[in-house]
Amino acid sequence: MIEGMLTGINTAFSGYNIFMVMLGCFAGTIIGMLPGLGPMSAIALMIPITYGFDPASAMILMAGVYYGAIFGGSTSSILINAPGVAGTVSSSFDGYPMAKSGQAGKALAIAAYSSFSGGTIAAIFLLIAAPQLAKVSLSFQSADYFALMCVGLLSIAAFASKGQFLKAMIMTALGLALATVGQDSLSDITRFHFGNINLMDGISFVLLVMATFAMSEAFMIIFKKMEINFKASDANKDKLGSIKLSKEEIKEMVPVIGRTSVLGFLVGVLPGAGATIASFLAWGFERSIASAKEKLKFGKGSIKGLAAPETANNAACTGSFVPLLTLGIPGSGTTAVMLGALLSFGVQPGPRLYVEQPEIFWSIIISMYIGNIILLVLNLPLIPYIARILAIPKNILVPLVLFFSVTGVYLISFNSFDIYFMAIVALISLVLRTLNYPMPPLILGFILGGMLEKNLRRALLINDGSFSFLWERPISLALFILMILIILLQIYQGMKKRQI
Amino acid sequence: MSISYTRISALIFLLLFIIYSYLASEIRVFVFDENADFNARTFPKLISYLGIIVSFLTLVLSKGEDEPLNQFEWIKVLILFSLVFTYGLIIKSIGFFISTNLFLIFSYYYLGVRNYKVIVLCSFPVVAVLQFMLHGLLDVYIRDPFLKLLGVIS
Repeated sequence: MIEGMLTGINTAFSGYNIFMVMLGCFAGTIIGMLPGLGPMSAIALMIPITYGFDPASAMILMAGVYYGAIFGGSTSSILINAPGVAGTVSSSFDGYPMAKSGQAGKALAIAAYSSFSGGTIAAIFLLIAAPQLAKVSLSFQSADYFALMCVGLLSIAAFASKGQFLKAMIMTALGLALATVGQDSLSDITRFHFGNINLMDGISFVLLVMATFAMSEAFMIIFKKMEINFKASDANKDKLGSIKLSKEEIKEMVPVIGRTSVLGFLVGVLPGAGATIASFLAWGFERSIASAKEKLKFGKGSIKGLAAPETANNAACTGSFVPLLTLGIPGSGTTAVMLGALLSFGVQPGPRLYVEQPEIFWSIIISMYIGNIILLVLNLPLIPYIARILAIPKNILVPLVLFFSVTGVYLISFNSFDIYFMAIVALISLVLRTLNYPMPPLILGFILGGMLEKNLRRALLINDGSFSFLWERPISLALFILMILIILLQIYQGMKKRQI
Repeated sequence: MSISYTRISALIFLLLFIIYSYLASEIRVFVFDENADFNARTFPKLISYLGIIVSFLTLVLSKGEDEPLNQFEWIKVLILFSLVFTYGLIIKSIGFFISTNLFLIFSYYYLGVRNYKVIVLCSFPVVAVLQFMLHGLLDVYIRDPFLKLLGVIS
């Protein structure tokens, strides 16, 4: 383990990779700041650029983008009450009132320090938890993997769907169905290509992510007439106010950071939960344990109310890497995109990654920490300048996003068919999103589809075609029970609300 | 049962998954695989069952609470969609540089930008820098008859 860690440190601290983290954090902050464009779009836009890179550098860049996008989302939440990322919605509850009262600089500093602390504590947890879990997961068999992936798909549909469980399950099924287009990995039989040569190799993962996120987000800005009321002059240092915090304010933040970083990390590890749930839970938790006097401040510019979600969402981002790196199963939509990127580099995350490619495993973990430092040291002082991005009018922004999306897909295949297909998928996604069909389950279904089929095939062949493997092995049985519990919980919640 | 956009979409999904199920059963497998415990049809069939069940449940259980779709900018999005589609049509024939600039210029103009300085500064330099990065720095070859004619790329 020490040897692997040293290799990882060596890789992560090379001048080139530190530059990658810096670039990633910077690009992520800018993209994450733009309302509508979250970490998934940001990472998707980076994929084509990273094709010439070695896998470790590409993943380091993407991890930086992930962190930067979350930080950028907080900035737009605080400054203009328009969260770029769902995970930073709860940051606007107290961040925006602070900004309105002339304390935008202070709010941004609280967000940056809390994110840094949350990310740092969670990176330490990850450092301890990931190798242990990787060792445990070496005992996993195909049946367990199949059950685990089903749990992942069910839980992302349950937790990421804002009460629309059935719609999220439709999207999961659609994602799985799209994954079956093209050649079957075992028999080489081509399925669902309808005689179209462009579909014989299957649907490109980058195309699907770009179409459902980046391009459909750009369409959505026009479709829903989203307005960004921010002028470049609003980003002046005088208007933002001081970024210095008093001793009392730091004292108030410290216990909140301690509590919510643990909470955020644990929520992040759960498949499907992620930064959004972690941040809302943290805000609610801190409010519930606050004194009656402090409770009144929540929602009106409370330091605790801002520090809690900011700490938790960054801790959850780090936590969501645990299932990705140790089991090869993404816990959130964003890590699903990163899994897709890793697979396209020929890297298969999972317990073997820790053993066979420690430089990738450890350099990603260590680069997360470097990313946190960079966000604090570089991005916070640069906020008055970076925030000017928010002043870009939508009629300039939308064509640019469309152009980057199209270029990203075109550069992979140099095939015009992919551009038409992408535009059609983006239009369909726009309609589906308007009808509250969530997109992350579709992406997770698409990415896990191939692995799910492979593991199911192996498990069924070992068990003579019987599904009894689901309850014969203890790990599978535990996961099977978890699946049933998730479904029962959804039925219960649906009956309670009379809407599932 | 009232008609809502969610119900209509669920019905479309139900039909799609029924068709998918039919197509899955039509997948041609090797003779020796026909009665195997798992063949190329098995997984798609399982997905289709899942899809049929969940879309049927959505159709039956959902409530008609969708926001009206006619309040949105359909036409603008469809025109932007057409611009992207046209961009795809011409990118190979006239090359990356000109097609991308045309796409950006038309899109800015359509979305209401009338300042020609802004239009030019947000198109030509952006495309040139990106193409230089890709072609010059990252060695990604992008076919471009126009730039080839000018002798900018070989």
